[in-house]
Amino acid sequence: MSLTELRPASHRQVPPPKNVKTRSWLYRFDNKTVPYVFISPFFILFGIFGVFPLIFNGIVAVRNWQLDDPAANGWVGLDNFQRLLTDEDFWNALGNTFGIFILSTVPQLLIALIIANLLNRRLRGNTFWRIGILLPYLTPVVASTLVFAIFFARDNGMANWFLSLVGFGHETPLDWRAQKWSAWLAIATMVNWKWIGYNALLYLSAMQAIPKDVYEAAAVDGAGPWRQLWRITVPMIQPVVVFTVILSTIGGLQLFNEPMMFDENPQSASGGSDHQFQTIAQLIYKVGWKDLDLGYAASMSWALFLIILIVAGINTLLTRRIGGER
Amino acid sequence: MRRTLGVVAAGLAATLVIAGCSGRDLEGDSSSNTAGGEQITLKVAFWGDMGLDNLKAEYEKAHPNVKIVLNSGEFNAQHEDLQKKLVTGSGAPDISAVDEGFIVQFRNQADKFVNLLDKGAGEYESKYLDWKWKASMSADGKQIGLGTDVGGLAMCYRSDLFKAAGLPTDRDQVSKLWSNWDQFIEVGKQYTAKTGKKFVDSGTNMFNPVLAQQPVGFYDEQEQLQMNGGPKVAFDVSMKAIDAGISANLASFQPNWDQGFKKDQFAVLACPAWMLGHIQETAPDQKGKWDIAAIPGGGGNWGGSWWTVPSQGKNIDAAVDFVKWMVAPEQQIEVFETVGNLPSQPELYKDPKVLAFKKEFMSNAPTGQIFAATAANLKPQYLGKKNGPTRVAVENVITRVQQGGLKSDAAWAEAVKQADKVAKTAK
Repeated sequence: MSLTELRPASHRQVPPPKNVKTRSWLYRFDNKTVPYVFISPFFILFGIFGVFPLIFNGIVAVRNWQLDDPAANGWVGLDNFQRLLTDEDFWNALGNTFGIFILSTVPQLLIALIIANLLNRRLRGNTFWRIGILLPYLTPVVASTLVFAIFFARDNGMANWFLSLVGFGHETPLDWRAQKWSAWLAIATMVNWKWIGYNALLYLSAMQAIPKDVYEAAAVDGAGPWRQLWRITVPMIQPVVVFTVILSTIGGLQLFNEPMMFDENPQSASGGSDHQFQTIAQLIYKVGWKDLDLGYAASMSWALFLIILIVAGINTLLTRRIGGER
Repeated sequence: MRRTLGVVAAGLAATLVIAGCSGRDLEGDSSSNTAGGEQITLKVAFWGDMGLDNLKAEYEKAHPNVKIVLNSGEFNAQHEDLQKKLVTGSGAPDISAVDEGFIVQFRNQADKFVNLLDKGAGEYESKYLDWKWKASMSADGKQIGLGTDVGGLAMCYRSDLFKAAGLPTDRDQVSKLWSNWDQFIEVGKQYTAKTGKKFVDSGTNMFNPVLAQQPVGFYDEQEQLQMNGGPKVAFDVSMKAIDAGISANLASFQPNWDQGFKKDQFAVLACPAWMLGHIQETAPDQKGKWDIAAIPGGGGNWGGSWWTVPSQGKNIDAAVDFVKWMVAPEQQIEVFETVGNLPSQPELYKDPKVLAFKKEFMSNAPTGQIFAATAANLKPQYLGKKNGPTRVAVENVITRVQQGGLKSDAAWAEAVKQADKVAKTAK
């Protein structure tokens, strides 16, 4: 009713003829174009900082670009990628990346799920616990990694002190960086510590949107808490689970800070004396800025990009199955 | 807007020209040229403490139109940052310090730096140690840097720990204990047997000084890898030390290493002049507990830097002037006295001020005499293009032996393999 009052007939009767065109053009502009203008900043920024580097990187990847040897620069086609296939450093780094990725992502998401489930109950000091689990996420990664690097030190490290309490490594303390398994474990611990709370909070927010009567009905039917978690909660928060899986896949495969700063000699970027925990991101950095071979580093980046796409795709498919088909 | 910029730029250029001309005739009176109020800011990038704080104040006082911004950062990060800025073509500091470990990398990109020979640096050639002058020169004869310090080697030792182990503490007597590295390792064994503590900080810190004493390093001047020469000698010494159980197996310049200072985890440390500042910074409460003796084998160089001027800077001439001023004898001596960095101009090794200087922190050791003597005996060594990465690869093998992942008798073959791999990546 009020709408009709706002548009009195008299106004419509005397439209100044010459303005009709401009005005209708304005309306159309407002309707059709302005939305694009409003969302354009993201795409412009994405173009500058996302698409352009990607393409530029692709160009560099098929060139030889050796910083300390400008004379050798030029097009090399797919040589860099070919070299990749036989480069044992690359395959070693790939193995490390996946090893650490699995050691960190799987426990991380499972523990996050269980913690979120616990937090979803009535607890004393609810907010305290919820904020508490997010604290590791708020810690700058460099600071926490440095602390962990000292925690996992060979001499005077706290991890070894704990081990010595249970009677292990009195004579020769464990050198965490010397073996693959111990180094992976240490790095995965850092990643888990940081991201469990963050994922738990995401799960928690999704869980709170699940109607209570579903659980009540299940309880009446005799489903215990564990069954409720897997049969009701997980399927109902499935979109968030997919989201966290993709995010941690990307994060896990791009792991850089933790292995970098865990190293005894971070500046060599070699990820341990025998590349025990050198990840792909770290290898790219080393090839690019230590060996100054930008072309080869760029081709590695592209390979990593493709690997992440594939793995994220597989993970999404797998996670979809969890909820949908059971 | 563009026009005003042009005018300003022209004005700036004119002032520079005037300042440049009058600089020679009227030293210290350049303030008269600043009537136009053209302020120049020079950004200087380096690492640690290069003793510039006082120099900056002095220079700014004499040149009111020049403002100097000091940017001290982490050693590797500064070099890497410079490399990135050279690639992108903007953002580099007006003046950047470059260390020996990186000078080869940068001299191969000489077109990105001001050729100091174009700026009248030719007269400096005779003032410098010959190899120092050549090391910063590109293959086609461009000079990208003026040397500031060299790292002639000596051996620092903890006299208090030596005393506790029943070893002599006087620096001359200590020097006599080890005229070669075998004797050095024997002393280490005695020390470890007596105290149960480790003697040296790391096997790599045996490898590096021994390698520095060899006539040929990793690469010869034809850029061919020469593992069976110097590197083999140095590697054997480091293996011997590790097998003797005298190494604390700590990685240099890392937190554990710094901890090692405080916890007395090692009693000796190969030290170039610039290391004194680092010891003082890391373990300030060990004043008077350190002393300096001669290094086994005599001579050798570790590190040392150059001042370079990237050509992308806007105030190249002012930057070159400042560099020339910094490497002048008075300033070099001042730096030596404040932080201990040893100048690279042999004339200064005879300077009474340098020779009379005693370092209070190091039990009043006459560092001037000690380091001047080592620098004079230096054998120059050619550093190949891939010297840095090759060193890292071999050091990693040594670390693997220390970690127990590799037996010392199989280590040499592995070191050769790893070094070959690095050498092959060079196209």
